[in-house]
Amino acid sequence: MDWLEKDRFEKDWLEEELKQALERKNPSPGFASCVAAAAARGAAPPPRRVFLLPRWLPVAAAVLVILGGGAAYRQHQGMVAKERVMLAMRITAGQLNHIQTHVKESRP
Amino acid sequence: MKTGARCLLVCILAAALPAQQFKFNLEHLESKAADMVDISLNASTLQFAAKFLDAKDPEEAQVKKLIAGLEGIYVKTFSFKSEGSWSPADLERVRAQLRAPEWSRIVGVKSAEDGESAEVYVRNVDKKVNGVAILASGPKELTVVNIAGPVDLDSLAGMSGHFGLPKLETVPPVKPKKFD
Repeated sequence: MDWLEKDRFEKDWLEEELKQALERKNPSPGFASCVAAAAARGAAPPPRRVFLLPRWLPVAAAVLVILGGGAAYRQHQGMVAKERVMLAMRITAGQLNHIQTHVKESRP
Repeated sequence: MKTGARCLLVCILAAALPAQQFKFNLEHLESKAADMVDISLNASTLQFAAKFLDAKDPEEAQVKKLIAGLEGIYVKTFSFKSEGSWSPADLERVRAQLRAPEWSRIVGVKSAEDGESAEVYVRNVDKKVNGVAILASGPKELTVVNIAGPVDLDSLAGMSGHFGLPKLETVPPVKPKKFD
């Protein structure tokens, strides 16, 4: 039964602590006049700091994306053109090689 | 008003002609071929492609040197389903476009055993080589290569030894004998 007593003691202690913490306390003597003065001044709470993005930033990002895409497309087109040139040269070289072999074989 | 429109049409056609004159008319072969490889590269495409060729790579460096200043490269390879799909008359129609005095045949080889033949034509303008054409035919294949523009024949001949092809030895020039 020890644990029951211990539990009850902890509950009582917690209750006492809460009572003390939530106990009604009177404000300091100058509090009311302080609030009245602040209200008269029209004091507003300090403005929140809001991080607004500059308007040009999305435009700049869009331009960068377009330029980057254009450069990538140009690079792709260049590689395709290069491959076509190399294929044309490969066919030409193959035919020339064939002709040169024939000429060499027929030479006395 | 009509005269103006005609003049404009003539101007457009005149501007388009130089671009077309390098291409051979091969439509009669296209209809007979089972497969075709068609590569058409004009001057601007060649210049553009040259920017992407690596000068450090021996093959690409050779190609870069060769295509500099060219007006176009046009390659067509026709594959036929069976022998006899194309006739000698078809080849003759291509040859007819390689007429003298501009074009002259410099090499012609023929193998009766394999039924293959190949010819190399050179286009001379003002005593300078301004184009090379290759006609190569086999029983089931026909290739027409047209290199338009100033071609360095030595560079072109030097293409053997690249692209996995064996390098062929060229005949050294004969030195003139000195008589004392």
